[in-house]
Amino acid sequence: MELFLHYLTLPYLIQGIVFTLAATGIGLAGGVVVGLLLAAMQLSRFKPLAAFARGYAVIFRGTPLVLQLVFVYDALPHVGIKLPGLLAAGVALAANEATFIAEMFRSGVVGVDRGQVLAGQALGMTPRVLMHRIIAPQALRSMIPAMGNEAVSTLKNSSLASVIAVQELTLRSTQLASSTFDFFSIFFASGLLYLVLTGAMSLVQLALEARFDLDRQATLRGLARWLPWRHAAPPAASPSPLEDAAEVSASEPEDALPTALAVPAAPGVDRAARASRLADAPVALRINGVSKAYGTQAVLKDLSLSVLAGEVVALLGPSGSGKSTLLRCINHLESWDAGQIHVGGHRLGYQTDGQLMSPSDLARERGRLGVGMLFQQFNLFAHLTARENVAGPLRWVHGWSAEDADRRALELLNRVGLAHRVEALPRHLSGGQQQRVAIARALAPGPSVLLLDEPTSALDPELVNEVLDVIRRLAVEEGLTMVISTHQLRFAAEVADRVVFLSGGRIVESGPALDVLQRPQHRETARFLRVMSADVLPAASTSTPA
Amino acid sequence: MQDLPLPPGRCVRRRPPALARMRGVAIAALSLSALAATATSAHAEAAKAPAECSALQAKYPQFKGKTLINAINPHTPGYETIDPNDPNKYVGFDIDLGETLGACLGFKVTYKPVTFAALLTTLQAGQADIVISDIYATEERAKAADFITYSKVFDGVLVAKGNPKKVTGINASMCGAVAAENTGYVEVPLIQALAPQCKAAGKPEPEIQLYDNNQNCIQAILAGRADTYINDVNTVDGAVKAYPDKLEKATAVTIPYSVGIAVPKGKTDFRDAVMAALVTLQKAGIHTELLKKNGLPVENLEAPRLLVVK
Repeated sequence: MELFLHYLTLPYLIQGIVFTLAATGIGLAGGVVVGLLLAAMQLSRFKPLAAFARGYAVIFRGTPLVLQLVFVYDALPHVGIKLPGLLAAGVALAANEATFIAEMFRSGVVGVDRGQVLAGQALGMTPRVLMHRIIAPQALRSMIPAMGNEAVSTLKNSSLASVIAVQELTLRSTQLASSTFDFFSIFFASGLLYLVLTGAMSLVQLALEARFDLDRQATLRGLARWLPWRHAAPPAASPSPLEDAAEVSASEPEDALPTALAVPAAPGVDRAARASRLADAPVALRINGVSKAYGTQAVLKDLSLSVLAGEVVALLGPSGSGKSTLLRCINHLESWDAGQIHVGGHRLGYQTDGQLMSPSDLARERGRLGVGMLFQQFNLFAHLTARENVAGPLRWVHGWSAEDADRRALELLNRVGLAHRVEALPRHLSGGQQQRVAIARALAPGPSVLLLDEPTSALDPELVNEVLDVIRRLAVEEGLTMVISTHQLRFAAEVADRVVFLSGGRIVESGPALDVLQRPQHRETARFLRVMSADVLPAASTSTPA
Repeated sequence: MQDLPLPPGRCVRRRPPALARMRGVAIAALSLSALAATATSAHAEAAKAPAECSALQAKYPQFKGKTLINAINPHTPGYETIDPNDPNKYVGFDIDLGETLGACLGFKVTYKPVTFAALLTTLQAGQADIVISDIYATEERAKAADFITYSKVFDGVLVAKGNPKKVTGINASMCGAVAAENTGYVEVPLIQALAPQCKAAGKPEPEIQLYDNNQNCIQAILAGRADTYINDVNTVDGAVKAYPDKLEKATAVTIPYSVGIAVPKGKTDFRDAVMAALVTLQKAGIHTELLKKNGLPVENLEAPRLLVVK
């Protein structure tokens, strides 16, 4: 025991830790840098880069670290690269760790919900902004535990540097054992020193996990409201989810303003006014002979459609009729095979000479032309609060100041009835609330056209109305140009100026909303409408088969 | 004059402390031991050596003032280990020899501790300039480096107390026994060569476990994993001294090799300089002093020879 304590406190061994930590530090830092590069190469659109990264991984993941150490130390000098031992160890560790760290980065990036990426693109984020603001923060969070593992394993692997004469803890321990014959006391002491080091790393990992835990941050914010010096804040919100749910329903009447409620009540009057106004409106969106196929499966077939500024068009049609694809083509989230699409007179995604734009230019163009989009699955940025979901893109894409962006976000969240939930994370919001945040987010930059891809299909029936109310008001109050794919016939009847019925990638029927819905001309439209309305009235549908 | 390799005690006392400090650690230790021992004879012998060393420095000025790297496998008490009292230093006969050679030729020595098997590869890679680490000069190894031999080889057979397997040397007594050896040791092929002999006698071949330092080989016997460890007799004696209740030396054997200093191939001027300095040191009796100081038998001393293989 006395010997053990002697060696545990021996400066010679303690100083060995410095070398151990230095090799680990170079290995980890280098590994992160090279790993990031490799991950970027693997995710790159350029195949040769991805192939290079794959080849690197095969070599460095597939050979023992001890060979790599000896290679860097003893073989490289033969080609004129003579690194000092510590640096050679660091380089070999970095080269080795890079393959594992690259895989962690890659799986972290791939693990970020694809819908959020689409939403970011639709908001006009360039790939760089998307990576920086949306993907990386979430990927890095998910990587912390694996990174902790990797740090500990790098530290332990640094002991292999003893084979290339780096004076780290293991080499010093073996030398000391050889000169004193106190084999076990020395190795127990050195083992305990390693445990202290790896234990410290685990603590750092836990601290980072806690620091970046979104729920914990939310809790802190929540708790902070109860601190005496925060009492100035409006006592609007209640932290308990139960009361919160009650509040949502209680706030419903408040959400739906009287003017909005008036629309369905007197549709005829409004329609006439709208129709006359639209008669003089310019074309906001022109789709000309667009075709698209996934492999041999045609999705859009020579489809043409014009939408006037301020017009609300409802796209109806069975699943797979091409509604979603059409919407995604309009803001160029998807490419198509033939035909042209003009938004506000511009071919979105094409340069003046007809060449395709780079992804960054395309993103900027989306932001500039102002094509907002709502998704079936809301696609809110999971790591950001409701307010940041709205304010963030204003700052990152449109260069707003933090203050202006915040003010705009609060104003819009207030308008969609979520003033009391601005600091909530998406996962703590109901589906209807999430979609209302998504609406605020899409509206924030003041889009000229809003595309809505089945905005209520993922919602529980009782939540559908809170979202539809908001959209209804947008159509009436804002005079927004909207293309909505939906299965809500009543909603289409109330809100849309025109209904377009799609089937098999073609427009089967198109006309004034009430005409198409009430007196469909085409058999397919009629059948679809019959099925959809039967769905609403189950009693009627059970009686028909007899 | 401060580059003289052999300072007798009296000289040291007369020197200003700053100059004395500039000398190698071994030189200081040597002068102390010289002082403690026969001061007059040491002084008499030393009188010639400095002159020859300054002549060598004049002949080989390119090494003067340099710091050269000595690759060692510091796991052999008596030859090279870290100093248990000051682990930042290395001690042992080979360390003293290297520093004294350095003092004679005017260079300083730093150390690079590597596994035994990596001694020559480290030298080949240019990560070290010289290897003085109780390494036996063999034809095979001379393909990787040039050797200047300086010591005879006597091996000891280390066994567990009582010698349960009755090992009596590198012979038929080892059939069926487990031998612990270091990777790259010359004993390995010698033991392997026993296989036909064992087979002819209808006995199993000896089994060899390879480790990468002496201490691991000794621990293998202590843990009952190996029956014997055959290596330099002084190393074996050291182990027996450390574990007198558990280990013993079965016997000593002669091995047809010499211990050598390895220098990079093709650097003939350096090889010649080291060789000349070694001759000078032996002539002055310093080699013998160093053996005594480190508790090694003086019979080990051998006149320097070159072993060079194309």
